[in-house]
Amino acid sequence: MKSLLKLHTLTLLGLALAANVGLQLLLAVGTVKSWGEIDWMDVVGEGGCAALALAWLIMLLHSRPAGRVTRLLALGLACICFSWWMDLLDEFIQIPAGIAWDNWLETAPMPAGLLLLTFGIYHLNQEQRAISQQMSKREKHFREHRLFDKLTPLGAAEYLRQQVQRALSQAREDEQPLSLVAVDLDDFAAINQRYGPAEGDAVLQAVAQLLLLNLRRHDLLCRLAGDRFVALLPNTGERQAQTIAGELEAAVASLAHRTSRHGERLHLHATSSALMAVDENADELLQALNLRLAGAKQTLPRCA
Amino acid sequence: MPSYECDTRFIAAHHQPAVLIDLALSRGQDSHKLLRGTGLFYEDITCGGAQVSPAQFFTLIANARRLLDADDSSFLFGQRLLPGHYGEASHALSHACNLLQALERLQRLRSLLSPLLTPRLLFDEHQAHLYWLDCCGAGEQWPFLAEAGVTSVVAMSRQLAGKRLPWRFHFDFAQPRHIEQYWVHLGEALTFDSQMTMMSLPYSCLHEAWPHASATAGHVAEQNSLAGLAWRSSFIDELYDYLHVHIREPLNLERVAQAFGLSPATLKRKLQKHGTHFQAELDRVRKHVALYLYQTRGFTNEEVAAYLRFNDTANFRRSFKRWTGVVPSGLRQLFQ
Repeated sequence: MKSLLKLHTLTLLGLALAANVGLQLLLAVGTVKSWGEIDWMDVVGEGGCAALALAWLIMLLHSRPAGRVTRLLALGLACICFSWWMDLLDEFIQIPAGIAWDNWLETAPMPAGLLLLTFGIYHLNQEQRAISQQMSKREKHFREHRLFDKLTPLGAAEYLRQQVQRALSQAREDEQPLSLVAVDLDDFAAINQRYGPAEGDAVLQAVAQLLLLNLRRHDLLCRLAGDRFVALLPNTGERQAQTIAGELEAAVASLAHRTSRHGERLHLHATSSALMAVDENADELLQALNLRLAGAKQTLPRCA
Repeated sequence: MPSYECDTRFIAAHHQPAVLIDLALSRGQDSHKLLRGTGLFYEDITCGGAQVSPAQFFTLIANARRLLDADDSSFLFGQRLLPGHYGEASHALSHACNLLQALERLQRLRSLLSPLLTPRLLFDEHQAHLYWLDCCGAGEQWPFLAEAGVTSVVAMSRQLAGKRLPWRFHFDFAQPRHIEQYWVHLGEALTFDSQMTMMSLPYSCLHEAWPHASATAGHVAEQNSLAGLAWRSSFIDELYDYLHVHIREPLNLERVAQAFGLSPATLKRKLQKHGTHFQAELDRVRKHVALYLYQTRGFTNEEVAAYLRFNDTANFRRSFKRWTGVVPSGLRQLFQ
């Protein structure tokens, strides 16, 4: 809440000030209605609208970083909120018949606010495209924030499962091969023990970025669990997938990760496995991939 | 030595509860939300004197699960549990000469090292089995606790042995959606919907010498922590032991209450507090005895029925079905 106030002081203060000035102006020229004169249906309807607009504004400011798009959307919502607020006030305050500016204060901010909001949403759309561009290799055609991994900027296992299912039917339709690659760090438990779990988390985040760099534009990387990552490779046969798996292993081996405390160089190694889909479903495919990886790990002198 | 119950405040908050708290804090969670409803304050825990009851620990676990909202919480928690940083008890584990010694110490010092679920060691000709029992009425937190308990022993044995051991696992609940967490943290030898939560490995692994052991230091640490032990096991645990020893005698609520020096009403109330009742506890022990006799001793239906003092086999088969959900012939191999 503190950061909300700090980031958007002007917007919120401006709205509060405008609402107060409107109230003072009406009180200066009008007279307060008696209880019997108030139409409570209107109060609930108009007051509810004003409260909702305020709630949208707060949620918007809370969820977005400051910037041009945020400013446009916030201004639009603030105008709408103000317009409904003035609408609500004249339920309580009787305005003498000769005054017209009161009507202007009520109606004019609404179209202005709607225009600003429309303009803001147009730019939001542009912004979303730019973000989707940045999310390539981490997200494909479908977003569900509840399936985001909590540690790395990747999708988690459930997201992977849904994407594998989708890619399988796509591959069948296009009669194209589809492969999966799993990459698992060797001896990751030892890193956690020696340098602490926070360093382990940092290693996972670094490896996630590294693997992303080594994938092609149309591939998708997810974190399956722990130190195991899975890449979904459309239009890729098993041999090519094995080449990519080897490249990912080599990339991990040459990563110069340094610990945050003493800057000590960690030498990481990974084991990988590649598998082409034949006619399994997503669950079977992932299980087969993991079994193959477990087989590859067995041959290590010391596995983890 | 007295036995603890689900509302006995005896778990040092800066031991195992702190492991979970640190995990949640490292994931950016708020300590107030984490401790809501537990009656604890983070400041008290950092001072070192606070003690929590199993029930408070369950509330903490429920909060952490909700806030973390991740499938790997139990596994990460389990990985950090053992040998842990709990003074002499942790030393006794770290300096164990081999897996057998570590598991025996884990059992003896369980009120410090595993207060919410009891590990029990069982042997047959070729294998060692470690099965896990709910000892404080975990209720819906059981799968979380089972995952954490199993992972804690896997991680400890890997760390101290310096290599991954060939564990195989049985879980007494259905395969969860997050099966990949099991693959990565435990391995591929998994069976779900089993009769018990249990982990097994070849007998030979128990006696392999561990590289960093220190026999004398370990022995002294164990003696010291045993001497300072205020609680040995939970009430549910003691009841399990009593029923196990006297399973061939006629058992009922009144007789068992008398043996514990309680009135039947008090025993009933105590069990109710832990979300269980006398018949359920008796059935649990009879089921475990029957499974053991079938699967490691190769008893026939008639022999098991006779051992458990059933008058006729049909009656026994009906009871067995009630305990396990299957008739004896439909039982899957648990111990092989």
